[in-house]
Amino acid sequence: MTVLLGALREAANRKVLPIGLVVSFGFVGLFWLGFATAFGRVTAETGDDFSQVAAATIMTVLGLYAVQFLAAFLAILLAAGSVAGELDSGRALAVLARPVARWSWLAQRGLAFGGLAVTYVSVMSVGVLVVAATVGGYGPLSATRAIALLALEMVVLVALGVALSTRLSTVASGVVVVALYGLAWLAGIMEFVGRAVDNPALERIGVVVSLVMPTDALWRGASFYLQPAAFLLAPDTGPGIPFAAVAPPSTALIIWAMGYVTVCAWVAAKSLGARDL
Amino acid sequence: MTPNSATRDPATVTTVPTAAPVLRAEGLTKRFGSAVAVDGLDLAIHPGEVVGLLGPNGAGKTTTVKMLLGLTRPDEGTAWIHGIDAASPAARRGVGYLPEAFAQPAWATGEEVLRHHAALAGLRRDAWAEEVTRVIHRVGLAGRGHERVGGYSKGMRQRLGLAAALIGEPGVVVLDEPTSAMDPIGRKEVRDMVADLGRAGTAVLLNSHLLGEVEQMCDRVVVMDRGRVLTDRPVDHLPGGGEVRLTVDAVDADLLALVGGFGAVGHHDARTVLVTLDDADAAPEMVVALAAAGARVRAMVPLQSSLEELFLQLVHDRHPHDPAAGGRR
Repeated sequence: MTVLLGALREAANRKVLPIGLVVSFGFVGLFWLGFATAFGRVTAETGDDFSQVAAATIMTVLGLYAVQFLAAFLAILLAAGSVAGELDSGRALAVLARPVARWSWLAQRGLAFGGLAVTYVSVMSVGVLVVAATVGGYGPLSATRAIALLALEMVVLVALGVALSTRLSTVASGVVVVALYGLAWLAGIMEFVGRAVDNPALERIGVVVSLVMPTDALWRGASFYLQPAAFLLAPDTGPGIPFAAVAPPSTALIIWAMGYVTVCAWVAAKSLGARDL
Repeated sequence: MTPNSATRDPATVTTVPTAAPVLRAEGLTKRFGSAVAVDGLDLAIHPGEVVGLLGPNGAGKTTTVKMLLGLTRPDEGTAWIHGIDAASPAARRGVGYLPEAFAQPAWATGEEVLRHHAALAGLRRDAWAEEVTRVIHRVGLAGRGHERVGGYSKGMRQRLGLAAALIGEPGVVVLDEPTSAMDPIGRKEVRDMVADLGRAGTAVLLNSHLLGEVEQMCDRVVVMDRGRVLTDRPVDHLPGGGEVRLTVDAVDADLLALVGGFGAVGHHDARTVLVTLDDADAAPEMVVALAAAGARVRAMVPLQSSLEELFLQLVHDRHPHDPAAGGRR
């Protein structure tokens, strides 16, 4: 508990929390401005209900995509520095010479930074959805499920970042996680294109990459629940919005992601336990 | 005690322990790749003993300290603190450690850092404030505890590190270069503090380059080089006075024979001879005799610290052809 509270105090004092709050308010404010303007124009120009739903859906899903992107980078940066930074600076030495088990120190720091990333993505998502609901009467399939999946995505990023940073430097851990995150994103796009042109081979590549790095698959799972039923059920949405899914996430994906986190946590504890400080 | 130290150092005296050692190591070995950093180290430190760990850079001192504290895993051998394997977190209950570089978050105040350590050390919450005040006074930071560490001088940070090591009155205190950033007043205060700890029954392991300091503070010295213990003996068994370091243009057999007439030659290289004079006042006569024999005497320095002589002798003896011995990594 001491380490966890210390890590949170550290985040607060390193201005991570205040800057995060300012950026969040700024982002949600900007989203409100853009959403209100664009939605107002669509409403004025077309009397068509579905056009309004489609416009609101696209803007909300893309807005939340940006939220997810920002939160992912926050999670990666926090996780990459969480262990490597402490070891590099020597701060870990004084703490781990105390009667504190290494796995406990690691778990508490992981929980603190994972908790921050999850809180961040949740607060930002709620902010965007509240704006969309207030201005455009937007109602997603399930905000709770969507946010839970986004939270799981953040936990995957933090777990992988923490595991890598038990052996690699802050920068190296960050680079590896960003590269995998980018790879998963690319695979998601390929899967979307594969679906659009009906090419199962492209779709399969997406699935394989999701096994290596499930972040984009989790985002797409979340994106399904972020869309309103009226949009998903409409006959002419085709392959849907880029970055978003037209089918719910499989249970296998969620189990895989949870297993992924467990394995990362186990590897991190073993790796730190065996290394010389 | 390694076999090596026994052959090198016939004067080695093993202290007779009166209580079980609080810090003990047997056969500690650590390799980094093909390099052996620590090679079969044995050590035992008893309550109230202040032990100095000495050695040139790269001798394996810091690796030894880290293995003793369970921070680095030995390839062979075991270390115990209070009888518990150092790898177990429970062993580190009742241990204070000042790392060579005690890094603290710059945003925290001195008191916040110490409260965090009080919590980590397992002290009860209601005891934190009193303990923090006690250690802050003990290290001479009274009145500065509410300031941010970022504004502290190097010496103040080191004092804060010492304060953290003293939290909870640990039975074992390990100090890695505790005075490296301090001014002479700070050094004197640390010396007094270490002496007080020893008197109070705390076992102290001090890793330092400052031979004079170690000699003043410690009951026992352990000299290491290339991962091995060269000697482990009480400070009062160090050689007495009368050691001088003679620097001449060239050392040859005739010169050594002449110098040998005044005392025992400790060791020598191309330009330097260490000699323990039979008569401590005979140095001027030796210089006159050397000059008469045609030697060009550049300097003759009485050694301030008998430990320095011992150290140089031990380390030089191991590297007779290595002019960089003592300053090598």
